[in-house]
Amino acid sequence: MTDTSATVGVVWKQESARIVAGLLRLVRDVGLAEELAQDALVAALEQWPATGVPENPGAWLMTIAKRRAVDHIRRVRTQERLAPDIARLSETDQEPGDDDVLRLMFTSCHPVLPTEARVALTLRVIAGLSPAEIARGFLVGEQVIVQRIAAAKRTLAEAGVSYEPSTQLSSVLEVVYLIFNEGYSATSGADLIRADLCLEALRLGRLLAVLAPEQAEVHGLVALMEIQQSRSAARTGPGGEPIPLHEQNRGRWDQLLIRRGFAAMLRAREAEGPPGPYVLQAAIAVCHAQARTAEETDWVRIATLYEALERLLPTPVVRLNRAVAVGFAHGPQAGLDLLDELRADSKLADYHLLPSVRGDLLVRLGRPAEGRRELERAASLARNAAERDFLLRRAAALAVPEESGMLLGPAVAGFVGSLGPATSRAYGQTLHRIARSAGDRLPLAGLTAAGIAEICAMAWPDVAPRSWNRHVAAVRSFATWAGVPELASGLRPRRARPGSVAVHAPLPPSEPSLRERALWCLLRESSAKVGAVLALNVEDLDLADRSARDGAIVWRSGTARLLPELSAGVPGGGLVPPDGGPGRGPPPAPADLCPETGRRRLSYERAEYLCKRMTGRSLGRLRHAPAVPGDPGQR
Amino acid sequence: MRYLMMQKAQTTEPDANLYAEMAAFVEELTASGVLLATGGLDPVGFKMTSAGDDITVTDGPFTEAKEAIGGFALVEVRSKEEAIELARRFRKIVGDGESVIHQVFGP
Repeated sequence: MTDTSATVGVVWKQESARIVAGLLRLVRDVGLAEELAQDALVAALEQWPATGVPENPGAWLMTIAKRRAVDHIRRVRTQERLAPDIARLSETDQEPGDDDVLRLMFTSCHPVLPTEARVALTLRVIAGLSPAEIARGFLVGEQVIVQRIAAAKRTLAEAGVSYEPSTQLSSVLEVVYLIFNEGYSATSGADLIRADLCLEALRLGRLLAVLAPEQAEVHGLVALMEIQQSRSAARTGPGGEPIPLHEQNRGRWDQLLIRRGFAAMLRAREAEGPPGPYVLQAAIAVCHAQARTAEETDWVRIATLYEALERLLPTPVVRLNRAVAVGFAHGPQAGLDLLDELRADSKLADYHLLPSVRGDLLVRLGRPAEGRRELERAASLARNAAERDFLLRRAAALAVPEESGMLLGPAVAGFVGSLGPATSRAYGQTLHRIARSAGDRLPLAGLTAAGIAEICAMAWPDVAPRSWNRHVAAVRSFATWAGVPELASGLRPRRARPGSVAVHAPLPPSEPSLRERALWCLLRESSAKVGAVLALNVEDLDLADRSARDGAIVWRSGTARLLPELSAGVPGGGLVPPDGGPGRGPPPAPADLCPETGRRRLSYERAEYLCKRMTGRSLGRLRHAPAVPGDPGQR
Repeated sequence: MRYLMMQKAQTTEPDANLYAEMAAFVEELTASGVLLATGGLDPVGFKMTSAGDDITVTDGPFTEAKEAIGGFALVEVRSKEEAIELARRFRKIVGDGESVIHQVFGP
């Protein structure tokens, strides 16, 4: 016989979603509903060891939890001197139904919450996991999860999200698939605890399919997860190295899950609506699962499905996968052509799968030397040792004569080693970055000026002239050292003209907030430290002198036009106020509060966020961009 | 982890109430994603024995009716305790008798 507390824990995991959902209907507050349910759990832990596990433990927990909820409602109504809400209380007789659980899911996955909070709260209230279990799954401390869940409950309460059915099913699907992928990316050893997340996601998905059966995308997601999970035993080798789909031992695929996936796919076809991203991804997974051998894979159909998916979801990864499929369906050159469009995307500059796929296509095109270099480059970008070893083994297995002449990697190492410490650090940064992009084992003879220019433009798309010129100098002196000075001919130094705008970042005309415009102008015109500007108090300002703090911060006409309005009616305290009212986040330091009004100041983090949102640039960059007279403040 | 739960045949005749309760239980476990597969077994069956190159097929029954396996359920659970709790609920519904439960490895 197992001990009672283990039984309590198990019953809790099986019943918590329905209990919390039923309570949510009564109290309309997820945080409160979960606390009341926890009270019932504590009662079970206290009583069951003495009384034995009741006949129907789930119903027992529900009864106790409801009793607590009724007490709570009565107490609150009495405190507020109101008659008990009879209508609400009479609902306590209803058993929690599917609709309640679905509403709880919509609530815990509500878009007002940041993604991480949605994931944590869903695992807590729907899957019934403890914060410690969630923390192990996501490799963070338990306290982090506790705080995340508490913050999520607070946000829901503040936003007034309680018990409305939502139309945002996509938000729920996203959370479930995120949990699945978190588990799927885990591979071995200590990660196996994380792999349990896949099963939690599958459970959530299967539950959702019963709760919202009319939605094709729900069944699509379930089909996708069942089929992906069917490969879990086959997708890694004994050393934890990934085994690509077409090399997996299909005999180790779990046929039970595959059939469940097919069944879910049939339900998706019967349900309403055009195929969305999950149905399309599931259809691709079905194609793979139907092929008894890799050679039998219907790549033409998969390529078509990816084309449809790319229209809905044009992410770099989808485009990359489409190139793979096209490479198999219509030949490696067709795949390579698609990949070359992707190479211009700076988001993929360090994504190891891009050179890995490219390497494979080049090998199939009969260009093994280039293919090998791409595979080695992929290895240098790979995120874990198992993947890196795997790529290097594939590269080494190619029959390619050793590269003759000097290779880029050793050449860079030799050059950087010959420099003094300061220069070697500065130039090393530039040159190692280039070598990583081009491949360490690329012969110098294979480098072109245009290629280097392209790499530099991708690696440093948006730097200040001074930084850019340092990169140019590094390439020039390396090229000269290596005896191929023409390699640097594609790079032009940039001139920083003093007094003009180096980074021209005008404020978007759509920015209506006075606070944002004033902060903007003040930073640009004063070039003062961001922290110093945010720390300004209204009483520090000398508006007539256009200065603050005895001339430590001075500004010009743009700011001068805005400041009187910003400080009007403010008796003292922070010049730049935060968003919304007081009460959010940790309590402010005394210096950040006006003693008279309780007014707070804008935090650095928030200011950074606002600045990024408006211009895509950091605050620091803004400060170093000298102002143009008459530029932003006039609007 | 997966468990195969095998139920020995019941000696008592199931009534309509049991069918309804069992249907609700199966539905609930399917909905929560726990029940992967389930089915009833013909208690008769046949037996195959091999010795060297010889294969012999013998038709059942082989055991007393109450020892024969009457049905199975393949469940996916988080722990052995969860499997025990499910089996407990199952036995509550079907009444007196015996289940044999094994963890399933693989595929």
